[in-house]
Formats: sequence, C-alpha cells, structure tokens
Amino acid sequence: MSYTALLFLHVLSAFVMVTAVGMFVAVALAVRGGRHTATALALVPLAGVLWAVGGLAVIVFGIWLALHVSRYSLTDGWIIAAIVLWVIGSGLGGRISAGYRRARSDAGLALDPATLTLTLLLVLTVVAILIDMIYKPGAA
Amino acid sequence: MILMLRPDSWNLPVLLHVAGAMALVASITVVAVVFVQGWRTADTAAATALQRFGARTLLFATLPSYLLMRIAAEWALSRENLSNSNASWIGIGFAVADFGGLLLLIAIIIANIGARRSRDGGMSTLTKVATAISLLLIVGYIVAIWAMTTKPS
Repeated sequence: MSYTALLFLHVLSAFVMVTAVGMFVAVALAVRGGRHTATALALVPLAGVLWAVGGLAVIVFGIWLALHVSRYSLTDGWIIAAIVLWVIGSGLGGRISAGYRRARSDAGLALDPATLTLTLLLVLTVVAILIDMIYKPGAA
Repeated sequence: MILMLRPDSWNLPVLLHVAGAMALVASITVVAVVFVQGWRTADTAAATALQRFGARTLLFATLPSYLLMRIAAEWALSRENLSNSNASWIGIGFAVADFGGLLLLIAIIIANIGARRSRDGGMSTLTKVATAISLLLIVGYIVAIWAMTTKPS
C-alpha cells in the first residue's frame, strides 16, 4: 500500500476515534445536565463501535506507516509516546463504554461518577496524542 | 514522496486546524446520528427531545468547531506561504469548507427553527432537511480528509 493511502487510512481512523470521543463527551454533558439523559444514552452503542473500530485501525495503520517510512522507527520517542498514550486511551475508552452501557441498561438512573472523570481524562489523552502527532518531538 | 518535517512555527496553526476539523466531524456525526434516531423513532416525545439535542449540538459544538478549523486553516496557509496557491488539494479544502460552511449555516438555522416549532409533535420537516444536510456534510468532510492527507497534484 502506498504512503498516501496509509496516511489517509491512519488519519481517517483517527477521525473515527475522535468522533467516538465526541459522542462520549455529548453523553457526559447530557447526563451531567440531566435534561437529555435518555436521549444521549442512545448514542452509547454506536460510540462503542466507533471507538473499537477507529481505535484498532488507527494503531494498525500507524504502526504500518512507521514500518513503511524509512525515516520513522518504532523506537522513536514520539512514536513510543503515541503508543503508550493509545494504550492509556484504550483502557479509558473501554471503561467509559462499559460505564455508559450499564447506565443505559439502568435507564440512566445510575451513572458511575467516575465515568464522567474518565471521559475528561480520555479527552486529555486524545489531545496529547494529537499534539504528539503534529509536533513529533525528537523526530529527525 | 519525500517526507518533510514542518518548521516549528507551522505546528500550532496546523494543530488548531486539525483539532477543529476533528471536533467538527465528531459533532456533525453526533448531530446526524441523533437526527436519524429522531426520524426513525415512533415515540414523538423522544423525537422532539432528539431534535432539540441535535439542534443545540449544531449551535454550540459544530459551529465553534467549524470556526476554529476555518480560521486556523487561513493561519496555516499564511504561515506556509500557500495563500495564493493553485494546488488542487487546497482548492478541494476551500470548496468543502466554504460550501460546507454555507450548508452548515442553513442546517443550524432550520434545525433550531424546527426544534422550536415541533413542541412534542415529532420530527419536523425542517429537521429532516437538516438531517440530510448533516449526512451530506459528513461525506464532504471525508473527501476533504482524503484531499488534505493525499494532497493530489
């Protein structure tokens, strides 16, 4: 596969992943406000699917890119940082998804407060990944 | 293709442009999903709640994201001395951003009018039009992502 095709698929996957985060944030804000809880929780199943698909695709195409481009190496500091942040994000996303699914089965009556905190942490993690990808600290 | 690292001074506008674009795509997708669910449900109260939620998301999330993406795009172009470029990938980006911006503005106006008018009457026709626009915008944004990453010609 060509460099441009890999880059497009990597970036598109990142957009899918961020879309899932956007849905988690929308649910969190709605649940916190208490006005559209049931409405927002309807987004949870799709957000979970987008998170899983986007998250998996972004790391697969990202590693493929690092192997494909001779100037990049999987041992570059910024690539290792991205992988570590991705692992942290995956853990957070999985827990958030499970928390919202529980709330949805409870008709939104019992949302674990930690889920809201985890959503904020996930946003910060994704922002950190984006900064790392744009600035590529330490890249030659 | 020769890879080139951006000078540090280009990074901030590019970061803001990409962050704005990601927030734009995420929020317009939330809107499209919410509106489609509102369209499909037989529960009129749920449909009304869904269209209000979508209309507010358009106004308070999608519009600011669009503005961030568009303003940062101009900043990035001026930093990279590409303001007068005829490159087709920039042309595609401008076309999607500007025509999409017009469609987005129309969607925001009609979705919010539709949400006010519905009053538990289910999904309004105006919101159905906004649904179609939001789905069209998602397709346009995928084309823009392709153009920005592959930079044809």
